[in-house]
Amino acid sequence: MAEMVKLFVNGQEVEVESGKNLIDAFEVIGIEIPHFCYHPALGSDGNCRMCLVGIEDGRPPLVPACKTPVSEGLKVQLDTEKIKKIQHDVMELELINHPIDCPVCDQAGECKLQDYYMSYDHQASRMRVPQVVKEKKMDLGCGVIHDQERCVLCARCVRFTRLITKTGELGIINRSDDARVALFPGRSLDNRYALNIVDLCPVGAMTSKDFRFKQRAWFLKRDKGICHGCSMGCNIFIDHNREKYKDDLIYRFRPRLNPEVNGYFICDEGRLGYHRENEGRLISARIGTEESSADQALQTARRRMEGADKLLILLSPNCSLEQMLAIQALAATTGATVSGFSDGSIKNGDADGYLIQDDKSANRAGLALLGVNTSPEFFESALQRTDTLVSFNNDLFITGPNQAWAKKLGEIQIIAISTHDTLFSRQAGIAIPTASYTEYAGSVINKDGILQTFGQAVCKNSAPLDMIRIAGLLGGTLTDPEALMQAMKRKIPAFAAIETDQIPEKGLKLSHNEAAHVTA
Amino acid sequence: MSAKVKIIERKGVSYNEKLFLVEVFKGMRVTLGHFMRNFLDNSKLYVRHYPEVQPEISPRWRGRHRLTTHEDGTVKCVACFMCATNCPSHCIMIEAGERLDGKSEKMPIRFDIDLLECIYCGYCVEACPMDAIRMDTGIYSSTSSDRQSMLKGIDELLTTPGAFTEEDYKKGGV
Amino acid sequence: MSQLDILLIILRVAFGAFVPLSSVALLVWMERRGAAFFQDRAGPNRCNIMGFRAGGLIQNLADGIKLAFKEDIIPGHITHKFYFILAPVLVFMTALISFAVIPFADTLVLGGNDYVMQAIPLDIGILWFLAVVGFGVYGIILAGWSSHNKYGILGGLRAAAQVISYEIPMGLALVSLLVVYGTVNLNEIARFQGQLLFGCIPMWGFLLQPLGVVIFIVSAFAETNRTPFDLAEGESEIVAGFHVEYSAMKFALFFMGEYVAMFVSSALIITLYFGGYQIPWFTTETLISHAKPVALVLILLIPVGMYFITGWIKKNNLSHYIRLNDPRAREAKVYIWGFWIFTLVIEAILLALLLFSSGGNTTHIFVALLQIATFLLKTYAMCFVYVWVRWTLPRFRYDQLQRLGWQTLLPLALLNIFITSAVVVALS
Repeated sequence: MAEMVKLFVNGQEVEVESGKNLIDAFEVIGIEIPHFCYHPALGSDGNCRMCLVGIEDGRPPLVPACKTPVSEGLKVQLDTEKIKKIQHDVMELELINHPIDCPVCDQAGECKLQDYYMSYDHQASRMRVPQVVKEKKMDLGCGVIHDQERCVLCARCVRFTRLITKTGELGIINRSDDARVALFPGRSLDNRYALNIVDLCPVGAMTSKDFRFKQRAWFLKRDKGICHGCSMGCNIFIDHNREKYKDDLIYRFRPRLNPEVNGYFICDEGRLGYHRENEGRLISARIGTEESSADQALQTARRRMEGADKLLILLSPNCSLEQMLAIQALAATTGATVSGFSDGSIKNGDADGYLIQDDKSANRAGLALLGVNTSPEFFESALQRTDTLVSFNNDLFITGPNQAWAKKLGEIQIIAISTHDTLFSRQAGIAIPTASYTEYAGSVINKDGILQTFGQAVCKNSAPLDMIRIAGLLGGTLTDPEALMQAMKRKIPAFAAIETDQIPEKGLKLSHNEAAHVTA
Repeated sequence: MSAKVKIIERKGVSYNEKLFLVEVFKGMRVTLGHFMRNFLDNSKLYVRHYPEVQPEISPRWRGRHRLTTHEDGTVKCVACFMCATNCPSHCIMIEAGERLDGKSEKMPIRFDIDLLECIYCGYCVEACPMDAIRMDTGIYSSTSSDRQSMLKGIDELLTTPGAFTEEDYKKGGV
Repeated sequence: MSQLDILLIILRVAFGAFVPLSSVALLVWMERRGAAFFQDRAGPNRCNIMGFRAGGLIQNLADGIKLAFKEDIIPGHITHKFYFILAPVLVFMTALISFAVIPFADTLVLGGNDYVMQAIPLDIGILWFLAVVGFGVYGIILAGWSSHNKYGILGGLRAAAQVISYEIPMGLALVSLLVVYGTVNLNEIARFQGQLLFGCIPMWGFLLQPLGVVIFIVSAFAETNRTPFDLAEGESEIVAGFHVEYSAMKFALFFMGEYVAMFVSSALIITLYFGGYQIPWFTTETLISHAKPVALVLILLIPVGMYFITGWIKKNNLSHYIRLNDPRAREAKVYIWGFWIFTLVIEAILLALLLFSSGGNTTHIFVALLQIATFLLKTYAMCFVYVWVRWTLPRFRYDQLQRLGWQTLLPLALLNIFITSAVVVALS
């Protein structure tokens, strides 16, 4: 816990954490100071002047809040007439050349300029001369669309490319009312985090080509989730909406602050990973090539599993811990061998040392924790002995059909429980659709051994069964949420110590020896 | 200016009123008066002889919807979804797309109003920032024998003409 | 049993059965057009056969045909199908047979034989009526219960509670009436009212029992489930109450039952309190002895009445908007012709009576017909009161209904018995 200091806001005494600037410190206690250019990840720039606050008996009497650290006994004024006048004037300045694009602007509804206009300005425009015309709908690359007219020149985007990605494609050119954000000549946005600019932009100057005109911001339901794109386990908001007469679809992922994991940002690949949740899904169960009901497919699968001589269950490293436990229990009752081998889910050399990791699965650490063998040798020897393969959302053909096993896979029975309609699920004798990670609740352990839980976000019209439920219907014994929780607590001592509903928002850090202890 | 306060005597507390009978006869006298007047001469009825006599529609009447156009015939709507957001019966379904004619950046690709669900509250007209949707067609009777034809698409909404002149509409009736 | 006996039995039963039934159509028409005029509307007036609308009566025909051809649905959740079907039959039949004891003319004397002009010549009269009408509410309760529906059961319960509350004041009002008349036979009651009070005023029940008539009419409204006592239906709070699950002909039976009950209770009210079939100041004996002058007066009066009726038709059967060759004016012309032809036939009959009759059976039949016409006229007037009340008064709240029944009507009825008995004892 950081040290606390006492100071005064509008004459009232408050206690805030020391070492922060006024904006961040006051935000914690629920006092808003309007600002455009300041962002905790990009530092204070002090160019927008929106956060000017008065300091009673101070020299100077007016300071930008983003540049002012809290100090004991500081007397901050936020509501004097002078401050209100300043805020009003700054808003008027920002709005002089701002086009009335709100009806067509994707930012409308989550736009700082709109919010601040309603809170701090609320005046009719006094502008009587034509507005400055700048370029609209510029494609900056990486799916970022820039509208120079809407820009308030806070330079967050410029600072992002300089400080975070260190690529520096953007700069502000010209001066005064002709100033604008532009690419350096001959360049375009070219980094794997570029779409974060869209989130950073306080107004609608930077919009995403992918999200453009798809939905209005206020229709979207924001649920918390964990990105399953790689082993980083970035925290995200899943923005989804069920339009009338349509299915519940995800329209975008946005980063969610978690200083322990991903900070303020996520990579573009993860951000666009929502497409995979909407498209290419396995809709209905199949027996052979015939479509069937999920019930029927499950019954057939269960009969085949009971009749199998040597059963091999293939776990996906994307499954949640609960699912893995349930499937392990299923393996125990059916006497099956469990392999966690996943072909091609590690892309060597893809990692960049920031957020993107080589391992493109979300819960490989969970597999290790539960003692599931992930080695290809183990899988291969088990495959040679087996006659029935049950795959829980594992895809053996991520990198294309594997010639080495093709013959053997053609001889045995394959039951694929799959979220997506893949080459592998098409080859399977029985394919059963299952819920994907935005459609169930669970917990995953990321590459740093941080256990994070997430809730269900999307609820499809015809919701496919969760893998825990499927494991139960196939004969597994461990399906009750309470029993699963107890099993998890037995496996993870750190987890056992705290109440279930007290898993911190930032995730639970498992110590190395804990993980090692279990794996051993 | 102080507000005028009119104190209305509370009815139904006196013995006579509690007995009902006297009040019942008073009421029956009133209704019989109406009956006799209409019975002896039914030209005195207050009703219009619809459908032979059609009502006169005021420009303020909220009839069926239409989408307005610019003078060159292009749609004014920019697909801002304000109408759909305000619609209490969720009967407006819009799909937005890129606009390439330079009037705006955005336009509706699909704009459906389900008249079966519409409650004709006029909130869509109130909400529209572009004056792109109006309920001034003067069509007050929409009937059909199948559901699909009650779903009005963008083409029908654009081609349905308004029933009033621009001046009358702006004036909002007498 | 002579052929005449059999013929008269058939005639009387037919009258008892078909007059209430055919009145349904007339009453529905009266209700709908009446309601419209009370509310300054036109009411149903478009349904026609080749342009003839009969003032909207054709609408009833259309409605009847529709109801008869509608699919008769018994919802799947209904387990007691027998009671479900029995309920509307019970409601309708009890309403219909309670009319059987009501005398629609004085005892007809033909060839020295007496023929009581009731469908069923019963001496118990009013007791039959009370028993049968009280039974009718079982139909409503049964309908509510067997519908297996919360609105249905609420409607049934309300009907039950209402009948319990209002049969008591009704019965007590009748007690004081019977003390006055000294008989339960409805024909004798009607004949009693042919006397004159103080030698100049017809001795009708409502003059002898001014408090009793109010209590009885209010209770009769409650018994027939008409507004303001139609809580069992209460469409604003319990959808349609007891008949919410009924459709097609089963619903039609409830609907017709309501109007038959209304007709029958009107008939009873006028029999008990408004002289029944009696023409004021003209008892049966007077009429028989002065048949010819009466016929002469009628010959003179009927054309005058018809003149006003045809004038009214001509004035009102018009399109009240600009219309070329108004077909309604043509329609009115046909009606007026029809009415005048009808008048001519009546006039001819009356003239024949005046010229060729020499008393005896013809006179008796003439008087009976006059009395039947009087009876029907009075009954329809009372039915109009029903309609009139319905479109004037809103529905009572449930607590108001019970308070009125138990705290106002019951004490008043008891007081009425006390006063009546005291007066009767004092006078005798």
